[in-house]
Amino acid sequence: MTGIVMEAKNVYKTYGKNSKKADIKQVEAVKNVSLKIRKGDIKLIFGPSGSGKSTFLRCLAMLDIPDAGEIYLGDECLTKPGVDLNKARARIGFVFQHIYLFRHLTALGNVELALRRVLKLPKEEARERALAALAEVRVTDCVNKYPAQMSGGQAQRVGIARALARNPDIILLDEPTSALDPELTGEVIDTLRDLAKEGTTMLIVSHEMPFARDVAEEMIFYDEGRIVETGSPSLFFNAPNTDRAKKFMDRIIKRTTR
Amino acid sequence: MFDWLVDPKYYTWILQGLTLTVEITLFGVFLGLVIGTLLAIGDIYGGKPIKGAIAVYVEFFRGSPLFVQLFLAVYTVPAILNIPIDHVFLAFLVFGLNSAAYQKGYMKGAMQTILDDQMAAGLSTGMSTAQTLRYVILPQAYRIVIPAWTNEFCSLTKSTATVAFVGLFDLVSAGMSIRMWTYQILPVWLVIGAVYFIWITSFSKLMDIIYEKKKIPGIELVMQ
Repeated sequence: MTGIVMEAKNVYKTYGKNSKKADIKQVEAVKNVSLKIRKGDIKLIFGPSGSGKSTFLRCLAMLDIPDAGEIYLGDECLTKPGVDLNKARARIGFVFQHIYLFRHLTALGNVELALRRVLKLPKEEARERALAALAEVRVTDCVNKYPAQMSGGQAQRVGIARALARNPDIILLDEPTSALDPELTGEVIDTLRDLAKEGTTMLIVSHEMPFARDVAEEMIFYDEGRIVETGSPSLFFNAPNTDRAKKFMDRIIKRTTR
Repeated sequence: MFDWLVDPKYYTWILQGLTLTVEITLFGVFLGLVIGTLLAIGDIYGGKPIKGAIAVYVEFFRGSPLFVQLFLAVYTVPAILNIPIDHVFLAFLVFGLNSAAYQKGYMKGAMQTILDDQMAAGLSTGMSTAQTLRYVILPQAYRIVIPAWTNEFCSLTKSTATVAFVGLFDLVSAGMSIRMWTYQILPVWLVIGAVYFIWITSFSKLMDIIYEKKKIPGIELVMQ
């Protein structure tokens, strides 16, 4: 075993290709991107908005189907026809920027649902595991609350618990804090730090730079559908090789230390 | 004017008529819900032929008068199949199929408001599209659609009057019979109207209670 949990090989995805409307132009969101993630890796993708980071992440979870290229989960190629994508997605945790909790279910119901219906756990066991996951992200006070009754930070931590509870091989997080008020960002980041300590394999799209510096093993600068530069946080915080990364880091650091 | 009301015979007729009216309405709304939901799912996920067939179905049932549909069912279907079919059963069917054409629209609308994000969320947890529909999309869509059902129920109840034309004994048939026996016109229809009114308002009230009871914070219909 190579220890590779997830691998993308030349993944390509465009939008608006089949659109007949003239005003919708074709957008190349992911242009032949390749990436390897090993067990226990914590990698962070950052870059300008609209550059295709989210699309790339959704492709990795096969929530968007790539136009070309291959995606592997362990040894299994997900982009081959005939693959049971539901089974594959059950092994991938996904956390959405806009949270997307099931609105008709309580926090407990949100976490329990897949445990019951996908992993087919008996009721009691599913409940126990869901409660454990909610405790891990420290939202035990919300167990019986509906999404509309939670703060954004609580809701997003429930979203993380929902992704976590199945013990996935990897968790993909798509800007988990960018839809939250700054004061709520901290509690979600703390949860992610906890996960990092436990050795959870994670690929995170985020611009939380202090967090990136502390936990990321590798940072990936993504722009215009491509990986422009990869390296350790210290590389990016001191002297990125590419001009674009340099400019972007300058802007971001100015903004966060202002 | 209303002295015929003391005769218990007429009460029996009204009760008998009301029973059929209620049965047809409730069965129609229920069958309409089941078929309407399937049509909505077919219209969202189906290919071109399925979508086309659904469009034809909806246009037929919305575009032609209900009593014509009823006549067609009662006078052609048993003849074509060459077996006797109970007219009440055919009326159930026609009202269900007719209601489905409208309920498909309500369901599709409700589903589309939640489909994008909730489907992605469901798939991301490893559930299949069918599981997400069943456990995530439909439970929310049904809650959104309850007020529209109440409207559908009110309108369908009154449409059931058409079954009198194919010889079934509903509230309107009861009224016509009482009229012939009592030679009263306006008083009879006032009483029949009042029976409709009481049944419809009490059932609507019940639906409102169910709506409030089933309501979950964050899932509400913004419509009055």
